[in-house]
Order: sequence, then C-alpha cells, then structure tokens
Amino acid sequence: MLRQRENSELFKAGVLSISVHAVLLGALLFSFNWKTTHPVSIAEVELWDSLPSEHVQEPLPPIEPIIQPEPIVKEMPKPEPPIEQVVEPEPEPKPQVDIVIKKKPVEKPVKKETPKDIKKSDALAELQKELMQDALQKPQKQPSDEALKKLQQESLNEDKAEADQKNLTAKAAANASEMGEFTNKIKAKIRGNVNKSLCGDGKPELKFEIGLLPTGELSGTPKLIKSSGNAACDDAVERAIMASEPLPLPTDAALLLQFRNLKLTFRPNDS
Amino acid sequence: MNASSDMSFFTLIAGASLPVQLVMLILIITSLFSWWYIFIKVATIKRAERDAEDFENTFWTGGDLNKLYEGIASNRRKPQGMASIFGAGFKEYARHKQQVRMEVSDVMEGARRAMRAAYNREMDELDAHLPFLASVGSVSPYVGLFGTVWGIMNAFRGLSNVAQATLSQVAPGIAEALVATAIGLFAAIPAVIAYNRFASSVDRLSVRYESFMEEFTNILQRKS
Repeated sequence: MLRQRENSELFKAGVLSISVHAVLLGALLFSFNWKTTHPVSIAEVELWDSLPSEHVQEPLPPIEPIIQPEPIVKEMPKPEPPIEQVVEPEPEPKPQVDIVIKKKPVEKPVKKETPKDIKKSDALAELQKELMQDALQKPQKQPSDEALKKLQQESLNEDKAEADQKNLTAKAAANASEMGEFTNKIKAKIRGNVNKSLCGDGKPELKFEIGLLPTGELSGTPKLIKSSGNAACDDAVERAIMASEPLPLPTDAALLLQFRNLKLTFRPNDS
Repeated sequence: MNASSDMSFFTLIAGASLPVQLVMLILIITSLFSWWYIFIKVATIKRAERDAEDFENTFWTGGDLNKLYEGIASNRRKPQGMASIFGAGFKEYARHKQQVRMEVSDVMEGARRAMRAAYNREMDELDAHLPFLASVGSVSPYVGLFGTVWGIMNAFRGLSNVAQATLSQVAPGIAEALVATAIGLFAAIPAVIAYNRFASSVDRLSVRYESFMEEFTNILQRKS
C-alpha cells in the first residue's frame, strides 16, 4: 500500500490524522450539550368556579320537589269545582223542585237544602226524603267517592304524567343550563386566546360551528357560519379556537352528544 | 421516568447494538486511514510540485546536460519526478549514442520509450492512494447508513412489544443509530474534497511532465 518515497511522511501524517480526529471529538463533546434535560412536564390546570360533573346530577332532585307542589296547587282548584257545583244548584231547586227531583245527579250534594224543602211542601217532603235518601245514599256518596277517586286517579295520572313531563323538562332544563354553562366556559376559554387587536374597534359578531370529541378536542376545523366581515378577525377567532384545545366538556355522555356539533357566537370586543 | 437521560456521545456508542458498533468501528478506522493518506498525499504532491519547479529552473537556465545528468545520478537519493524522467531519457540517449551505426530516429524512439516508462512510474506514484480516497468518499456514507438503518430497525422492533408507543422509547435507539451516519459522513466529506483536489493536482503535474518530455525530445533530436 505505502510507497517507498512516502516513508518520511508516514509518522507526521499519522500524528496529524489522529490529531484531526481528536479535535473533532473534542468539538463534539464541548459544543453539544449532550446532557439532555427533559423539561418537567407542564400540567395544564383549569380553574373553574364550580365543579360541573357534580352539578349534572344534583340539580335534578331539587327541581322535582319544586315541580311536585305545582300539581298539588292545580289539584286544589279541581276539588273545589264540585263545591261550586253544590252552590250553583241551589237557585235551581228553589223555584222548581220538580226539576230538582228530575235532576238527580244535580241534586247529589244537596244536603243543606233539605230542611228548606221540607218546610215548603209536606207532600213533597216524603218524596223528597226518599229522593233525598237516594240522593244522599247514591248520588252524594257515590259521585263524591267515585268523583274523588276519579279525580284522585286523574290527578294521580296527571301527576304522574306531569311529573314525567316535568322530569323530562327538568332534565332538559338542567341539560340546557348545563350546556349553557359549558358553552360559556368554552367561549370564555376561546375568548382568552383571541387577539382582539385584529378585530378593530367596532362590534364584530361571528358564528362558528365546531365539532367536539369527548376528549375536548376539535373533531375538525371550525366552520365559519357568519363572518364578521373582517377576515383577520375571523382568522384570529379560528386560531383562538384551535389554540383552546382541549375545551372544557361535561362528563355526562348524553350531554356530550349535544356538543358534537356546537354553534358558538363570538363578540370579541365585548368583555 | 428519568428527568434527565444520559445521552452523551460515549453512552450513545456504547448503547448501540453490536452490528452498529462494528459499523462505527470500521468507519472510524476508515476515517483515520483516509486522513492519514490525505496528509501523506498533501506532503508528497507538494514536494513533487516543488521538485518540478526546481528542476525546470535548473534545466532551462542552460548548461551542460551531461553535468546535469551527472548531478542527478550521483545524488544519493533516487531521482523523483521530472529528474527521473530526464535521467531515464538521457541515459538511454547516451547509451544509443555510443553505439555506432544507429539511426537518429531509432535513438530518439528509444529515449522516448525510456522517458515514457519513467513517466508512467511517476504517475503511478502520484496516483497512489487516490482510489482509496475515492472509495471512502463514495462508500462510507452507505456504510454509515447501513448502521443507521440497522439501529433504527432494532429501535422499532423494540416498540412492537409495547402497547402504547412513545417517542422516548424510540428516540435513544435512533440517536444511537444516527451516530453511525454522522461518522460515515465525517469520513466521506474530507475524502471526497481531498480526492478532487489531489486529482486536479496530479493532472497538472502530468501535463507538466508530458510537455517536458516533448521539449526534451526536441532538444535531444537537435543534439544528435
């Protein structure tokens, strides 16, 4: 390999070659900071005034008792009408007793009238007594009982139906309030990231439709529904939405469905 | 998990798998040799250029060719470069000149052949180690790449057992593997630069030698 005439250079070249490598190694060791220190993982913490997860279930019981009283309030007038009916028939029997007799069911509650009738006509008294007994026994008791039962049942049914409806509406209301709460949180978080200087001095209003995954991340790019008329402002809000990931979301699975497609209205300049 | 992992140069090399370490060793030895040859070549080519310069000066200042030949032949050192070409040519010419009944064209032809032979030997000396540098320049990046690919293959194979793959599981392996490519490039880049420079220097020297041969032939022809 080596030539005769290179003998004089061999040692010098060898030393130079090794020194070049030593220099490079030194440069590598000193120029690079080989000790890589991983930055302590930064935990992102969101400070919320109230815990949303607990509120999801709590609101329901307190609202139900509030609603149950309502049917009771409605029930009150219902038993009253029979009493009113009792009062109304009074004028009828006075002038025309026959009609009173004919109208058995109307007479049902006529307890207090009996003494008056007896004084007026003795002949009619017996008939009336009989009728009264009938009326007292049958119409008054039965209708009252039956009516009460029916009313109770009806009211119970109504109660149940109403309770169900109220429950549903309560849940819906709770959901709505919950949703509003989280929508506001999402908006607040996004608003913190908006570069307001890009939106000028006016009162721009823009609407974005965003899809959210259960993890709080966006399922796609936000869709601009209504532009503020200022492209820079639209972009600023869009960037803010992207930067706000992960967005706060409720833990309730049913509520999450509503957040899958969310329309948000922004007024960047309103504080 | 470690807050800080030791990623020093030596742990990277020590942590690499055996084939990768082998590749690194080969590349480091190659790099050492290529630099050694580079320094040898730098010295020898510089000396050949200086010798050619000196010889041309003494040759074209005039003077007796016999004396010049005597000086070269009596030198303890073996003549190199242009001096060796001149010595071979003049020796052959003088030998033919002594023989009577020799055609001029034959004498010139003999001297030319002798000079051509000496020129070829000189060129062989000048071209020494250049193929090695060329090989190092073209092959060592591939060798380094081979080491890197091997190391990365191992790094990713280790991932197959893990349910949740994270970058920190692959990163050390890839960093180790990339050291091989770095060493390969470190060996290749100087070799390529040196090869190109030496090739152009040798070309210039060969042109110089050839033009001297032609001119010396003319001088000999005029003398005879």
